[in-house]
Amino acid sequence: MITLGLEEKNEILSEVNRRSGANVLECYQCGKCVSTCPVSNYMDYPPRETMQMIKLGLKNELLMANSSWFCLTCSACSGRCPREIDIPAVMEAIRHIAIEENYINDSKKVKEIRKFHEIFLDMVKRYGRNYELRMMAEFNIRTRNLFKDMHLAPKALLKGKIPLGVKPMKSAKAIQRMYKLAEKLDKKHL
Amino acid sequence: MARVGVFVCFCGANIADYVDVPMVVEETKKIREVKFAIEYKYMCSDPGQQLIREAIVQHRLTSIVVAACSPRMHEKTFRKALSDAGMNPYLLEVANIREHSSWVHQKDKKAATEKAADLVRMAVAKSIANEQLFEISVPVTKRALVIGGGIAGIQAALDIADARIPVVLVEKSPSIGGKMAQLDETFPTLDCSQCILTPKMVDVASHPYIELIPYSEVIELEGFVGNYKARIKKKASYVNFATCTGCGACWQKCPVKVPNEYNMGIDKRKAIYTPFPQAVPNKPVIDAAYCTMLLKGKCGICAKVCQVGAIDFKMQEEIIEREIGAVVVATGYDLWDPKPYEEYGVGRFKDIITSLEFERMVSANGPTNGLPVRPSDGKIPKNVVFIKCIGSRDEAKGIEYCSKICCMYTTKHTILLHHKVHDSHAYVFYMDIRAAGKGYEEFVKKAQVDTAATYLRGRVSKIYKKEDKLIVRGEDSQIGQVVEVVADLVVLATAVIPPKDNPELARMLGISYDKYGYLSEAHPKLRPVETAKAGIFLAGCTQAPKDIPDTVAQASACAAKVCGLFAGDTMKKDPMISTVNTEFCSGCQNCVQVCPYGAIVTEEVPMGHGSKEMRTVARINEGVCQGCGSCVAVCRSMAISLAGFTDHQIINEIVSI
Repeated sequence: MITLGLEEKNEILSEVNRRSGANVLECYQCGKCVSTCPVSNYMDYPPRETMQMIKLGLKNELLMANSSWFCLTCSACSGRCPREIDIPAVMEAIRHIAIEENYINDSKKVKEIRKFHEIFLDMVKRYGRNYELRMMAEFNIRTRNLFKDMHLAPKALLKGKIPLGVKPMKSAKAIQRMYKLAEKLDKKHL
Repeated sequence: MARVGVFVCFCGANIADYVDVPMVVEETKKIREVKFAIEYKYMCSDPGQQLIREAIVQHRLTSIVVAACSPRMHEKTFRKALSDAGMNPYLLEVANIREHSSWVHQKDKKAATEKAADLVRMAVAKSIANEQLFEISVPVTKRALVIGGGIAGIQAALDIADARIPVVLVEKSPSIGGKMAQLDETFPTLDCSQCILTPKMVDVASHPYIELIPYSEVIELEGFVGNYKARIKKKASYVNFATCTGCGACWQKCPVKVPNEYNMGIDKRKAIYTPFPQAVPNKPVIDAAYCTMLLKGKCGICAKVCQVGAIDFKMQEEIIEREIGAVVVATGYDLWDPKPYEEYGVGRFKDIITSLEFERMVSANGPTNGLPVRPSDGKIPKNVVFIKCIGSRDEAKGIEYCSKICCMYTTKHTILLHHKVHDSHAYVFYMDIRAAGKGYEEFVKKAQVDTAATYLRGRVSKIYKKEDKLIVRGEDSQIGQVVEVVADLVVLATAVIPPKDNPELARMLGISYDKYGYLSEAHPKLRPVETAKAGIFLAGCTQAPKDIPDTVAQASACAAKVCGLFAGDTMKKDPMISTVNTEFCSGCQNCVQVCPYGAIVTEEVPMGHGSKEMRTVARINEGVCQGCGSCVAVCRSMAISLAGFTDHQIINEIVSI
């Protein structure tokens, strides 16, 4: 049972709108996003329901759900949305709020996805780009599943899909500076 | 001797698939009087008609039989063909071998063919006795009656009057304006209802071609298209409108307070009152049910304060008559009483109101100075729940149909609420959002996005009280979960229903109505403003629920129909009417009794043989007679004959088979 009308203001709505630049109120619940989304079947609340829950201000359910973590940010939904809502940006806003306010969905899948995000960002920070081989190794180690997808490795390596080394980018330094600046701004903002 | 031409139609496959058309033609040729018979694929087509025209000249035909579809479809077409060939159009007979044979006997071609041949044989026999007939022209009374002074009646009256046709506008209540006068703003443009309506009301009052009869009802209508006579009951207003100046001294001093219908009973009015400040005419009436002078013979303050002596406690109701040529019915609608919704606590909880009550509250001239308030404690509500489809689309408690306007007026209410109480929040429980109309979908988006009304898809299951709040429980089917809204005020969007005296009105006018009580149009698509009775038209919600733009459009359509009807000085009429042979008439007057149109009167004629004695006989008013034939059937002395359907013709038909 959901009780409405107790809160003075729908905070999650204004926060998501502010962060994403989208206006969730525009959603008229047609469901085109849900049938477009390749992973909506695996979500606790597919995009349409997520939108409605934001409108109703169901903060706890939203931030604890796996939906935003499962979102691939493929933008197929927003590409087809008749109201042109940037749904991936909305999902990202929910992820950010969940991290900041320490809402933790402790299902195995979400934990893995969060680790993947961390490792990926770490790679970008180090090299200015992704270093696939290291990322895969680190992901397998940190998720304690050493041989995950190992059978694909020989083929991928032979085809040159996974370079053994990484060419640091010229602008890697600049990217590191961006990270620092972003962290500073974040602290100031909080 | 008669020379008959027979033309049998295939009607594509409609007739030819089930009736052996060439066989029918062969059978027909055996009849002595038939000098020419032919089949053709489509008789109604241009070459088909040409065939008739040529045959008339070539074969010197004296009457024509067309065996085709129902005469309702193409009788006029073929009569025209006869006229074009220089023949009297009423020498035509139509044998209906489609509806009466091919369509109904699709399983038995042999029998269908035999029946078709019989039908043609009968038509031929009848046509032998056909006589030349000539159209009758009837004078038209160029005056229209409009029943109901809401926006539909006002628009129809103004449009007709602008064509310089006199209009009699009859309104039941003391002022015109109807439901629209009670509205605050109108969707989807949010223009003020009063501001766009009152200029039209004033136009009605000052128009030289409109006779406004307020506080009156039409009680009887007799006659026929172009020549109706209406009896109108003027209710006793106890105020002489001719002398009253509308100064208002009487209603300021009147000591009797009565619930105010205009404000949905939220505040009080006096026993002598005008419904609202902009009333047209701006003259008060005395409510006889509450006036102490009329009830107990004491008081009379209004009469004392009236400077011009306009109060007349002895006034009686009055019946007046008007001759008119056409009627526009615009009696509007009522709102459904939500009492059966016991699970919502309707009647038990004061803070549940209807949409029209909400409308009056937020209206600038309303009883609460334009602010929504909780009836229980007078506080301004913050959380307001609007529930749609109250009575609509509810077969168990209300009616089956969609009331059409609730989606939009509820949308308007969420926006008005936001305008009046900035920190309020609107919740809308709905089943569907039906926003088909110019600018309507955009208006709903405005409510949902700009004013952030929360739309919850589901019917409310129950409402209960918790301290001073109302808890509204329903499902939000968008997320498949039950929600409860803590509300300060609940507004019910009650269904539109026809006025409860519509059936009685329909019987009085001789028109039909549907199972709900809405008046029926002649055809749901192609004749939406006409009734089945010629000269009576429908405008507005009395026909079906509709919004203001649709109502105004339909009212203007009615006006166009009325102007079309009055375009000539006379109306042409088919000559198939009854005549009395006074030699045979015994004066029993049975015919006078059965005539449904009041077309038969009696007159005195000399007895004959030089006698000075007079005797009574029947006489038929040819303008009024519609040719139904009832009088012919009851006439004992066979004195009445119906042109085009004489006894001779009918007997010929019977003998031929």
